[in-house]
Amino acid sequence: MNFLLSLIFAAIDARTEVGLVERLKRREGSAMSELYDRYGKLVYSVILRMVRETSVAEDLTQEAFLRVWNRVQFFDAEKGALGPWILAVARNRAIDHLRSATNRMSGKTTDIDAPIEHPEAFVNLERDIINSDHARVLKLAMGKLSDKQREVIELAYYEGLSQSEMAERMNQPLGSVKSWVRTALKILRSELEEVVSV
Amino acid sequence: MSAQEDDPRDLYELYALGILEEPERSRLETAIRSGDPEARKRLREAMRNNAAMLASTELVEPPQRLRNRVLSIAGVEHRAWGWRFFWVAATASLLLASVYLGTEWNHNANELAAARTQVQQLLKEAATTNAELAQARNVLRFLEAAETRVVSFGPDEPKPRGRVLLNPGRGVLLIASNLPPAPAGRIYEMWIIPKTPGAKPLPAGLFQTTASGNALHLQEGAVAPDSIVAVTLEPESGSSAPTTTPLFAAGA
Repeated sequence: MNFLLSLIFAAIDARTEVGLVERLKRREGSAMSELYDRYGKLVYSVILRMVRETSVAEDLTQEAFLRVWNRVQFFDAEKGALGPWILAVARNRAIDHLRSATNRMSGKTTDIDAPIEHPEAFVNLERDIINSDHARVLKLAMGKLSDKQREVIELAYYEGLSQSEMAERMNQPLGSVKSWVRTALKILRSELEEVVSV
Repeated sequence: MSAQEDDPRDLYELYALGILEEPERSRLETAIRSGDPEARKRLREAMRNNAAMLASTELVEPPQRLRNRVLSIAGVEHRAWGWRFFWVAATASLLLASVYLGTEWNHNANELAAARTQVQQLLKEAATTNAELAQARNVLRFLEAAETRVVSFGPDEPKPRGRVLLNPGRGVLLIASNLPPAPAGRIYEMWIIPKTPGAKPLPAGLFQTTASGNALHLQEGAVAPDSIVAVTLEPESGSSAPTTTPLFAAGA
């Protein structure tokens, strides 16, 4: 009808993640811009924290967005949580890189249909889980962990080590590692769930 | 880890992180792939917690070239001045408009200033991409045009409120607030009603409001300077003539 009508719809779309996903599905270039502007910094930061090399982090960030672009047709625009999905995709790219570089976990890469990355896993998940309040709560919660508990959490999230690999890296008994992991996860979960509706 | 010590939530969080070892990994994956509702629920919770945890990562500014690389995936042409150009242009336009309009139409100055503020706010909400920014510039140009004048409506009513800016050579810009989003299957339609006796309302475009109840709608084209502008709620495909009572009307 006229260009302002599209401005209005674009305004509505831009304000909602549903609209953004639908525009991605329609292969609108502007949607990719918006997606990057929303999540690019966080995705890059997570990947850089994991691989610790800027050139690799850039490659993997691009790869993560490419994967999202190629898989968004399977994403449920109405019920899916885009941010958590993108973060999972990004982290998996970094984990795959770390594993192939160190030949850990038999160099296994994340299957494109693996439940931990498939868009279906992100349906009915709180969209607003990624926000500064939750981040602040978790940072404070990390401060409540012991050194060993914090270390195993870092190894789990940012290096993708299994508990056996942590035990080997830390030169500690597997039982101790499992105990630290269990306690740390419980503390973090408890703090987070106080501020998130379950 | 003994069965007695296992907390399923731990296992699902480790699984969601891709670091759960056998045999638990296969057991959980089988349950998830089978569609077991409990398994899927636990996976969702684990995904949620992991996402929140990752989102607490200290942020690092990525290089500009990364944005260009990512956008190239979607075939988006890089414009080095995209955002900066818009805001520079928009700011300059608004300054020019405020100076020009302020001197030309003292009687309308407050109205137009308020309209500009409202438009600027809407554009800040709306314009998040280069394509939308180009559209936003058109709206600002409309506001700058010499013949543009403004009529308020509904100032004493709780809702809706707004302004109609009419430019005989360019069209009509409607800015409304306190206008709830149209219900499912319905949409707002603007009408231009010439003041000539017996003239019928002319359809002037469909629009929807934002979630916060704001709307910005421009109908381009010549319009009689003494026209009345009205808005009705219509079926979502629009109507050729109003089918409901106008929600509001404004005109000279």
